Amino acid sequence: MNDVDAPIKLDDVLKRGGARCPGAPTTQEIIADDTVPAPAWVRSESYEFLGDEDISTDRYTDPAFAKREFDTLWTKTWQFACREEHIPEVGDYHVYDLGRYSFIITRVGEDDIRAYYNACLHRGTKLRASGTEGSACEFKCSFHGWTWNLDGTHKSSTCDWDFPHVDSEKFSLPQARVATLGGFVFINMDPEAPSLEDYLGPEALSHIKAWKLENRYITLHVSKRLPANWKLTMEAFMEAYHVIDTHPQVAPSNGDANSQYDFYGDHVDRFISTLGVVSPHLYGEISEQDIVDQFTLGDSSAMGDTKIKLEDGEKARGAVAKIFRNMFEQAANADLSHVSDSELLDCFSYTVFPNTFLFPGISLPMVYRFRPDPTDHRKSLYEVFFLRPVPREGERPEPAEPIHLGDDQSFTEAEGMDPGFGQILDQDTDNLRLQQEGIEASAKKSITLGNYQEIRVRHFENAVDKYVAG
Amino acid sequence: MTDTFSPVLKLADLPPGSKKVVKLDGKPVLLCNYKDRIFAVSNICSHQYKLLHGGRVRHGKITCPVHGARFDLATGEALDLPATEPIETYDVRVEGDDIEVSL
Ligand code: FES
Ligand SMILES: [Fe+2]
Repeated sequence: MNDVDAPIKLDDVLKRGGARCPGAPTTQEIIADDTVPAPAWVRSESYEFLGDEDISTDRYTDPAFAKREFDTLWTKTWQFACREEHIPEVGDYHVYDLGRYSFIITRVGEDDIRAYYNACLHRGTKLRASGTEGSACEFKCSFHGWTWNLDGTHKSSTCDWDFPHVDSEKFSLPQARVATLGGFVFINMDPEAPSLEDYLGPEALSHIKAWKLENRYITLHVSKRLPANWKLTMEAFMEAYHVIDTHPQVAPSNGDANSQYDFYGDHVDRFISTLGVVSPHLYGEISEQDIVDQFTLGDSSAMGDTKIKLEDGEKARGAVAKIFRNMFEQAANADLSHVSDSELLDCFSYTVFPNTFLFPGISLPMVYRFRPDPTDHRKSLYEVFFLRPVPREGERPEPAEPIHLGDDQSFTEAEGMDPGFGQILDQDTDNLRLQQEGIEASAKKSITLGNYQEIRVRHFENAVDKYVAG
Repeated sequence: MTDTFSPVLKLADLPPGSKKVVKLDGKPVLLCNYKDRIFAVSNICSHQYKLLHGGRVRHGKITCPVHGARFDLATGEALDLPATEPIETYDVRVEGDDIEVSL
């Protein structure tokens, strides 16, 4: 036990959270050396010590906690429901489900997107099945045929002579709030919630706007049920601390222990994990040429058989950046000469609370979405979307259809998945099963977090607490 | 095997990305020109026998505009509730300027 009576010295308070990986350059120092300099959103830091108390694990194991989340957290937060490209035309709709909640996200006008609670106002039937999308000029219930206009107003009830008590004016479909940003459609069930802009805060908002993710489209969309609580699952992706043990194949070309961690307000946090540099765990064991030879993250497979031979004194990071720049210029038919080495190479992982990760980088252009399994708090629904630039010529491609993997399938089985990336996701999944079970088996009813590398976990759980405690 | 194909529409009248309903032996046949391929399916949804032709086609599947059931244009398979039964699909070919369908 800690000695609770010992006075806390100011020095210690200042120091806590102040330590960084000894003997290694910081992320900012690595990036400052790059040939093409990084933009402002990359070159800033926003970390604060948030405490070092343990976090109790009932939040991952107690069905009552999951129920409270459904009643409080999920009803008050902004959630990524679909991309605008899912509903490009007026009349297009996409069903977004979260636990028992379900919404029909519909484009009612060119710039008018609505989110209707997906339930008939007669006897409750879902107006559209979960997980579906399509287009409609009206929403007709399959049970008795009650119908709503696209704008949500009540159109007709079959045998309306039997419903003199139904005032059509009052039978519009109830709506959740909708906001769009970067091509994402967000919804919020809480009429009192702050706007999406205020929810994200000015700093995070400026980052997200800088990425222009509206100019990308979904090239691959894979979903899988994972064997752990949704929060545990998200936390598996919040730090690079696990790379050296969980993903040893990545460490030779990833600055894992010297990654940078930041948070912005209550709802957004991030890490920047540099690539093309060796893990501090492997200093002295790996040469610059080894880094290039063992490069496995991002579009490593797209590098194909390209063999890079470094010149004397040439650094791996610069060489890989050069290759990536050429490769993506060709792929996107775009001029990337002003895109920084860092954006081309590095892993930028942002969490938008509660359940979305945005990776605005170019070689790692993913979005993750996590949702609780509606019936089992020990499982979660995970999705990965790859967002690539819309080709400059021709029609905007349709967003990829989701590939739903079975519980026991490998991510590498999804068509179009980079095998190296699929392997990484499989490694994370294997840990999650062991972690959920271990937390339930443990004599210790809490988790212990690193002050710096695990700050996103603490920041995230602080936000969970804020909503669940009301 | 005897040739059971009948011309139903001029190819020029079904530009890429379009749909058209024709009648063949009294059956409403929905023709879809989607991504360089022509599909011929029944225009009747297997769920509540509504007409499919107003539905959105994406990834080679059509969504019923009335209740949202989705069908694979190639196989007719029902992919989403509320439908559970497939729709009919028909062999289709292009002969010269004509689209021909065999029921
Ligand atoms: S339940 Fe929808 S019309 Fe009766
Ligand atoms: Fe991982």
